[in-house]
Amino acid sequence: MGDLFGNLALGFSVALSLKNVALCFVGCMVGTLIGVLPGVGPIATIAMLLPITFGLDPVGALIMLAGIYYGAQYGGSTTAILVNIPGEATSVVTTLDGHEMAKQGRAGIALGIAAIASFFAGTVATLAIAALGAPLTRLALLFGAAEYFALMVMGLVFAVVLARGSLLKAVAMILVGLLLATVGTDLETGQERLTFGLEALSDGIDFAVLAMGLFGFAEILRNLDNPEARDVVRGKIGRLLPGPADLREAAKPVLRGTGLGALLGILPGNGAVLGPFASYTLEKRIAADPRRFGRGAIEGVAGPEAANNAGAQTSFIPLLTLGIPPNAVMALMVGAMTIHGVIPGPQVMTKNPDLFWGMIASMWIGNLMLLVINLPLVGLWVRLLKVPYRLLFPAILLFCCIGIYSINNSPSDVLFTAFFGLVGYALLKFGFEPAPLLLGFVLGRLMEEKLRQALVFSRGSFMTFVERPISLGLLLVALAMLVVALLPSVRRSREEVFTE
Amino acid sequence: MAGWSFGDGRGFPQEAGAGLFLVALAAIGLWLAWELPVGTMRAMGPGMLPRALCVLVGAAGIGLVAGAFLVPGARLAGWSLRGPVFVLGAIVLFGLTIRTLGLAFAGPIAVVVGSFASPEARLKETLVFAAVLTALCIGLFKYVLRLPIPVIAFT
Repeated sequence: MGDLFGNLALGFSVALSLKNVALCFVGCMVGTLIGVLPGVGPIATIAMLLPITFGLDPVGALIMLAGIYYGAQYGGSTTAILVNIPGEATSVVTTLDGHEMAKQGRAGIALGIAAIASFFAGTVATLAIAALGAPLTRLALLFGAAEYFALMVMGLVFAVVLARGSLLKAVAMILVGLLLATVGTDLETGQERLTFGLEALSDGIDFAVLAMGLFGFAEILRNLDNPEARDVVRGKIGRLLPGPADLREAAKPVLRGTGLGALLGILPGNGAVLGPFASYTLEKRIAADPRRFGRGAIEGVAGPEAANNAGAQTSFIPLLTLGIPPNAVMALMVGAMTIHGVIPGPQVMTKNPDLFWGMIASMWIGNLMLLVINLPLVGLWVRLLKVPYRLLFPAILLFCCIGIYSINNSPSDVLFTAFFGLVGYALLKFGFEPAPLLLGFVLGRLMEEKLRQALVFSRGSFMTFVERPISLGLLLVALAMLVVALLPSVRRSREEVFTE
Repeated sequence: MAGWSFGDGRGFPQEAGAGLFLVALAAIGLWLAWELPVGTMRAMGPGMLPRALCVLVGAAGIGLVAGAFLVPGARLAGWSLRGPVFVLGAIVLFGLTIRTLGLAFAGPIAVVVGSFASPEARLKETLVFAAVLTALCIGLFKYVLRLPIPVIAFT
């Protein structure tokens, strides 16, 4: 325990330097600014803003990126409440009651409670990361190639189970992601694979390029196809700080949401997505009067927002302890860390303790900052949201282009994003979800490496995965999840959760 | 590919389209991976995984096509041409001009071309907006953040 506080003290001493606080502030600010734009989720935001951290030292860059991430998350909630457009999957739930509250003239309170719930959840999750970081890192040292492979298989199975719509389509997307990850030079033999003979592909497909194409540009195309009338709240924003009655109503949902979100966020395979849905369903089920939900119930904002932020934060745990990114945003963080010469994994904590604990401490500072800077700025975000889309999207387009070009100073990267934008548009039209594809892509290289290693050790026998107890346990969990998801009753309720 | 629109209002079954898309992808992958050595389980070659994955992707595709015949599902929505052509065109033009002309030209080109993806585009407004936006970006990325992005490339 004393260890924990000593480490946190080290973290705060790093994060509270004037420069790092300023970077965290700027990160939160620009993250929110971009994240508020309709149709720009955290993935596109981070990919776009990645180059602005290039000139910084690794600690500062990661602190700023974490700030951008939280800002983008919070910006998504703001758009969900004010415009009824979720910035990303996790704020879909917030649109239900949050926008309804806004229509009733309680937009300020919805935003306020979202910020307070997020801050509380963030505080708890920060402590959870600090407490779990060290033991999980020790656990990671027990992991061999077979265990790593099994863990990633489990992550992918979770991603399939958590995806919306048809399971077969989700499986197909994972496979396509894994296939795309094999493009480039083979790690062991140095042979080029699936590159069409293009030199630009010999290092493989850049993750930021793929993510920006599939998420950023395809989203613009989708928005242009469905010119929905943006329903920006016209009335007053109203009081921002919730009164004692609101706080009393929201307190327990926030606690429950935090617990749910934090637990689900740790799961590999983008468990964080499930947090807000789970919290909303739970609150509705235990509410005295479930009919209030969907009509501006404060619990329907407080719980899911807490779950959202707790999950966003605890999803750093698999990345920092095992080096396995649990979702696409974390994969971008891997890319960012690698650019700054930090390889995520169990060794980060021992080799760069100031970076590890500094980043954890800055997460908490970032959450506090969001609370402090965003509430007074709500008026500015509302004005930004009233800019017509015909002007917004060319601006988004230009920022994306500059961002992608700047990552590697490579014009061919820009051309590839255009190609993946087209692919993403086709995927949307065919009813595929791009999220599992990205996760497959993210884990693909590491999985292939670990699979090959494990099979070399076991002399080509697949039995190694079931003979080793940890690996067997992980695979059994994955199998159980898959079986449960295929049960007809669960399938039905799974659809309900996602269509609700 | 982005040009299909079935005028009769019924359209192609979405699941079958999705399945065919996967089958085509698998075929391209198999064709590219054909020459790569597969190796053995004990020492996997570079071709093993790509080929195995292509087979699985293709199988998933066939599964989707078969499913579409068994259970009638959603139809493919019409594909618009205007959005993809102008948006993707703008990105491609940016990629082609950023090194040869520099951001001072690539920026406005991307913004103006891109904005015509929307039927509401107005030329005069767009031109002014493109100029202002580009100036802001040059100031921010070149002078504040000092990214090595060419502003005017040909001299």
